[in-house]
Order: sequence, then C-alpha cells, then structure tokens
Amino acid sequence: MTKPVIEVESLAKSFGDNKVLKDITEKVEPGQVIVVIGPSGGGKSTFIRCLNLLETPTAGKVAFEGQDLTTLDQKSVNKLREKMGMVFQGFNLFPNMTVLENIKLAPMKVKSVDDAAATKRAHELLKRVGLDDHADSFPSSLSGGQAQRVAIARALAMDPKVMLFDEPTSALDPEMVGEVLNIMQELAKDGMTMVVVTHEMGFAKEVADRIWFMADGYIQENNTPDQFFAHPETDRAKDFLSKILM
Amino acid sequence: MKKRFGLLLAIIVALFMTVVPLSTQHAQAADNSLEKIQKKGVLVMGTSPDYPPYEFQATVNGKSTVVGMDVQIGKKVAKDLGVKLKIKSMSFDSLLVALQTGKIDMIISGMNPTPARRKNVAFTHVYYQGGYDIVINKADKAKYKNKDSFKGGTLGAQTGTTQYNAVKKQTKNTASKGMTSQSDLILALQSHKLDGVAMEKPSAEAYTSNNKNLAAIPSDFDMSSDATSSAIAFRKGSTSLVNKVNKTVDQIKKENLVKKQYLPAAGKYLKTNTVNTSMGHYWQAFATGVEYTLIITVCSVFFGFIIGILLALARTAKGNIFKTALRWVSTAYVEFIRGTPMMVQVMFVYFGLGLFVNLPALTSGIIAISLNSGAYVAEYIRGGINSVNIGQTEAARSLGMSNGATMRYVVLPQALKNIWPSLGNEFITLIKDSSIVSIIGVTELIYQSNIVRSDTYRGVAPIVVIMVLYFILTFTASRILNYFERKMQHD
Repeated sequence: MTKPVIEVESLAKSFGDNKVLKDITEKVEPGQVIVVIGPSGGGKSTFIRCLNLLETPTAGKVAFEGQDLTTLDQKSVNKLREKMGMVFQGFNLFPNMTVLENIKLAPMKVKSVDDAAATKRAHELLKRVGLDDHADSFPSSLSGGQAQRVAIARALAMDPKVMLFDEPTSALDPEMVGEVLNIMQELAKDGMTMVVVTHEMGFAKEVADRIWFMADGYIQENNTPDQFFAHPETDRAKDFLSKILM
Repeated sequence: MKKRFGLLLAIIVALFMTVVPLSTQHAQAADNSLEKIQKKGVLVMGTSPDYPPYEFQATVNGKSTVVGMDVQIGKKVAKDLGVKLKIKSMSFDSLLVALQTGKIDMIISGMNPTPARRKNVAFTHVYYQGGYDIVINKADKAKYKNKDSFKGGTLGAQTGTTQYNAVKKQTKNTASKGMTSQSDLILALQSHKLDGVAMEKPSAEAYTSNNKNLAAIPSDFDMSSDATSSAIAFRKGSTSLVNKVNKTVDQIKKENLVKKQYLPAAGKYLKTNTVNTSMGHYWQAFATGVEYTLIITVCSVFFGFIIGILLALARTAKGNIFKTALRWVSTAYVEFIRGTPMMVQVMFVYFGLGLFVNLPALTSGIIAISLNSGAYVAEYIRGGINSVNIGQTEAARSLGMSNGATMRYVVLPQALKNIWPSLGNEFITLIKDSSIVSIIGVTELIYQSNIVRSDTYRGVAPIVVIMVLYFILTFTASRILNYFERKMQHD
C-alpha cells in the first residue's frame, strides 16, 4: 500500500477556552477525494486550516508525506505548503494584480520560474478553468464564480500534490456554484488528491471517495458516500441529514 | 546687545555636558587651542547675520555674502593669527552650542560677555561699546523723548536680549512686547502695533538712515558696561588663543578701527542693499531657498519612508525574545519621536551627534527630519498593513510564500495604496516642516526669506513671496500624488 499523503494524529485546537478540535486521527491516501461535511461551528474550517498550518494545532500531529509539520521550522513549512494548494471561501485574489499576475506571482517568487515559463503555464491553467480571455483583467471585474476559478488556477500553478478547498462555493451566487464544482470534479477525475469542506451534498455524493462527518470537534463518521447518505451510523449524522434538504 | 537664552538649548547643552563630559575636560586638560587653529589654517567664525550693521547679508558681486562690522573684525583676527577665515551662519540661539560642540571656533555676533555666558565660554576683551536707542515713527517725534515717555503705550524689543529685559524692568506703566526678529519689530512699529522699539545704536542708525519714516531717540536705560559691550567668544579654556586675539582686539580699540573703518564699510553695504529692494532682485536668494527646501524634503521623504517601513515591520514582529525586544524598541522610538518637538530633534542631531561626528548642517537636517518622518510614516504603514484583509496573507502563505515575500509582494503594495492619501499629506507637511532646519543655518526658504527681510528692510514682501513659493511647491506635489493615486486604482 502507498504511503498516505496526509496523516493527522490526535489533533486538537483551542482558541482560548474554546476547544474547536478535540481529538482527530485520520489519513488521506494519494488520489483520494475527501469531503468534510457537518453542521456549522463543528470545526471543519479550523480542521482544514490546520492541514497546512494556517492554524497552529494546540496538540497532536499533522504529517505531510510522513513529515510532521508541527515540528518543522518556518522555512520547511513554507516548502511543504507549496505542495498543498488551498482555495478559500472568499477567493482572496490579490486585487492589485491582474489575473495573470495573480497566477504567476508564487511560481516566480517562490520557485524562481522565469517570466516566460510562468506566463505560459498561467495561460494553460486559465484555459483549463475557461478564463484565458480574462488574463489581463483585474479581480474586481470578475464575477464570484470567475474569481474562484482563477483562485483554483492560482493554487494549481504551484503544481501541488493536494488541493484543500475551504467552502469554495459558499460565497457564490447559486447560478455560479456549478461552474466551480465542475472544475473541481474535473480535477478529481484527473487524479488530484483533494480535501473539500463543503455544504454541497450533491458534489459530496458524486465526487467523494470518503465522507468525513464532523461535529463537536470530532470526526464522528468516516464512510463512503453511499453508505453515509443511505445508512448513517451515528445519531449525530442522522440528525444532521434529517435537517438538510436532499 | 543680543543675549538670548533659549531655554531648550540650555537644557540640551546641559544634557550633552552630562552625557559627554569629555568635550569640556579636553579643553581644560591641555591648552593647545592656539596651536590647533594655526595648524588647521582655518578659523571658523559663527555669526547670526540678521543684525545690521554688526552682521548681515548683502549681495556682493552678484553673490549673497555675510558682511558687517563683526566680519571685518573676524577678518582682522584671522589675519593676525595667520589663518583663513570661514564664516558659518546660524541663528543666534544656536551659536553657543555650536561653539561648545566644536562646529565653530569662535563667535563674533554682537555677543555681550555676561557673567552667565562667561561660565560656559571664554571672552576676549570688549571690542565695541555700544548703547541703546529707541526707534519710533518720525510722526511721533514730538511725543517721545526717552524710555519714560511711553506710559500707557507699548515698547518692543528682540526677545531674550538685554534691551528686552531693560524694557521690561526699567519702564513704568508701559507694556513690553518681545519678538524674535528686528525686522518684525520694525514692521510692528510701522503698523502702529508698537510705539517704539528698543535696539542698539548702530542698528537704530541703520534702520533710520534707510527708512525716512523712522527716527531714533535716546533710551536712557541704566545699563552696566558689560551689557552694552561686544566681545569675541572662544571655547572655555582656550587661554593661549584668547590671549593672542586680545592683542588684536586691543589694537582695534586703540586705533578706533570700528568707528573709523568698520562701521562706515558696513554702511556702504547697507546702501547697496537698499538700492534695489524689489523681490525680483533677490530671485537668486529665493531660488536657493527653493532648491534646499526641495533637497531636504525629497531626501527626508525617501529615507523617512524606508525608516517607516522598517519600523512598521519591527512593530508587527512577534515570536521569540529578540523579536519582542525589537517590537518594544520600535514602539518606544515611535512614541518618543512623536512626543518631542521636531525642532529639538533637529538641534539634537546637529549639536548632539556633532560631538562624535562632524555633520554638516544640511546632512544633520536631513537625518533629523528623516528620523522624525519615519516615526509618522511607520504609524501610517502599520495602519495600512492592518487594513489589508488577513485573507490576502493567508492566500500568499498557502502558496508557499515566506512572510517576507508576502509582505513585499502582496501586503505592502495594497497597504501603500490604502495609505497613499495619508502619505501624501505627510509629504506635503514635510515640505512645510523642512523650514525648521533654518535654525541650524540651512539656507532653505524660511532662512533665505529672513535674510532678504533683513537685507531689504521690507517686512511683508518676502513673506508673501515665500508663501506663494511654498504653495506652488505643495500644490505641485499634491497634483503629482493625485496622479499616482489614480494610477493605483484598480477597483
């Protein structure tokens, strides 16, 4: 069996007295698409942000390809972050740069890729997300769906081994959700390892290899989508599923 | 006599003397003062050229030069010592500190050897014994006879001078009004805000002979001879130098050179000065002023900005003990700079650092203003950094960018855009605040205008000219800033 890409062991995170993550131990295998679902305030966002150390865990271990991030110095963490692309709910495109510059920035400044190569790669990625004609636009002129697709292209420009999605469609108008999910689905088809925090149950059902149901600071249930949606094992999951429209 | 005691300066000098007791001890330990000057071959004379006919600026062969009776004396002293004379202009308040910190070798600036001054510097014999007159409007000549005729009126004098104290102490039922410059006083007199201005006889003569609407009457102040005399000041303990120069002074007195040669020569310059007092005639003086104001501003903005960024980053440093210390120090720096007047900082850099490195006035001014501006800019930048959404940092960091690269490429450019109007404000403030360095003798606009004022005996015209010039500078600057602001707009 291949080595897991991400391994989380006894992970805990508190903000002051508020214990958001209590004790989480899970693995992500190469090529897997993990969809994390659960009620709001259950710690999903905090969890995914712990994976690339945007949040520093209070206790436990977060390993990427066998290396425990919590014990590494800042430089090595930066190095590993290159391999973990992240897409945010709020897109977080750099408003002072064009779409093309947004994508080129990190490859050029972090990996020292030359301008021509970075430009070429950026155009390829923009084609992939269907926005090459917007290369010279500024983010402020894009719709939410377009901005999120650029954000995905930007993350892909670093050639990551894992993509982390933190509620990528929550800030979008309903008619724009589809275009973003389609791109994500294609990524999954191409074999990208993905961890996705989302409320899109349709996407979870269709694309996920595993569903991690998270509530009250624990991963309550780890199951295949078919099993999870048809026969949830825990009462917490049953309760959650009964409350959402399917 | 000019006898100002800037309280601030006294404090600063006291501070230097306690922090750096070396300078005074040096002088006392070994008196090689004469030898040192002769070896150096140059004698630097400090003077405050706003006091005709003692010392003032005149246009000689198209160039603005310091002239006057004191300059003649300085030349004679240098000649007798066999060295060259170099004149350094600065405000009267700064002279004593400049002497003590080694910026200049001697003071000849109509300075009277008071007991208080004698404690800090060594004086030669008196080279000129003056007295006081009161300048009045000619129309009032019948009304006033001497200092006692002004009951119910107002007498003016230069603040901190001996005559100012006399006006305050030796008149009854007369209000006293102090101003820092003679030209302002004369202006106030002409606009009837004052009824008379007490000043030294030679100055009074200079004003009355150059302005037909003015007249001089005797003051009849009761003064000790100390208070009406002028002597040359050297650093304390320079006995050999003082003794040598005393011979020159004695000769000047014996041959009555001041009245016979020096005052008439100074009078001639006064005449050439007043031949053409149109502002256009002084365009070169103003051009120099604009040039230096711009040099100071541009350099200070540049260095202030760099200092500001460093300070702002230091203030956001978090982590180990070193970083905490860095944050603490930079916070303290910003608070301290914002809590002390820029004028004091300018003097501190010029005179204080001058004890260790001999910095020219212009450099000192730029350093002081950069350090000052850096503290303010740091606060703007810190605010700007805080105004950038945390998501921007997270996005950059998630791409593997280091903290430094994130700051440089993502956060700071956006912060800069957000704070651009504030930075522009700071830039425009600096154009105006650069005037403070006039106190250490940098020939920027304010300094130049004061020179033109004392040259031409015209109080208002130079002020109007520099007002217009300052406005042109600031208005141009704000247009340029607006242009860049528009260029930065993407959303």
